[in-house]
Amino acid sequence: MMPESEFAKKIATYLTAGTTELKPGVAYRLQQARTAALARLAQPDKMPAIERELSMAGPGYSRGPRRSGSPSWRWIAAAVLLLGIVAFGWQQWQAYIQVKEFEDLDAQILSSDLPIDAYLDRGFQNWLKTSYER
Amino acid sequence: MADVERRAYKQAIFAVRDEDAALDIVQDAMLKLTENYGGKPAGELPMLFQRILQNTIHDHFRRQKVRSTWTTLLSALGQKDDRDEEYDPLETLQAKSDSNAAADPALQLEQSQIIALIEQALSRLPARQREAFLLRYWEELDVAEAAAAMGCSEGSVKTHCSRAVHALAGMLAAKGLKL
Repeated sequence: MMPESEFAKKIATYLTAGTTELKPGVAYRLQQARTAALARLAQPDKMPAIERELSMAGPGYSRGPRRSGSPSWRWIAAAVLLLGIVAFGWQQWQAYIQVKEFEDLDAQILSSDLPIDAYLDRGFQNWLKTSYER
Repeated sequence: MADVERRAYKQAIFAVRDEDAALDIVQDAMLKLTENYGGKPAGELPMLFQRILQNTIHDHFRRQKVRSTWTTLLSALGQKDDRDEEYDPLETLQAKSDSNAAADPALQLEQSQIIALIEQALSRLPARQREAFLLRYWEELDVAEAAAAMGCSEGSVKTHCSRAVHALAGMLAAKGLKL
């Protein structure tokens, strides 16, 4: 078996060859990312060292949009998510209470001596209404 | 730098197996490098960039873990993450342009297949072994620099590298590939 370092170097050679076979668009997006990073250089005195490293293969600098969200947007998203969870929980709780009320009512109706058909009788409903008003 | 960013992208994609996430990681790492370390000497930048890149990959996994926890809690939104099943290293390979057509197509195909097998094997390595291997042998950092980038001891880097080489050799041999 060949030495570890020799084997590793062969692997590295293949990996480097693999970087030339990126999907179309990926190299362009990487270049955009680089130019966006260069545009973020805040202090002019920081430019020389980093400029040499970053701009060897690229065109001039242009400000590009950052693809991922900023921290403030993350906080807003977290707040909206939390609000959504609270609203969802509240709605579930209300639904549970309503179902419980219906269950209690059903239990009362089913356990009473009065036949259930009586509640469908219009005359009986009118009698209940008038006796309640009195 | 184009080579560096391409290698960084490949490193990220070996780890996260998602093109968009890998591009975000590379971009974030570049931004952090320019925002926080713009004044450092050029010689320190490769190691710093690798350290930032590894940390950004770890951050990605941390965020993914938090997200999956919430997804599990909110079972209504819960769907199996099937990116593992969708990932096929062969898809990351594209035919070379006509300018390279002078080379033997059969050789090109063979090389593409070997690269795909190697990338597939790398993706299957444990994360720390893969990191150590790529930093030492691909990024050509020395043991001390790799240890600094990974935030571990030099001994750990050597151990991870050795295990990675043996695991890769085993996986490639199992596929019938001898380098």
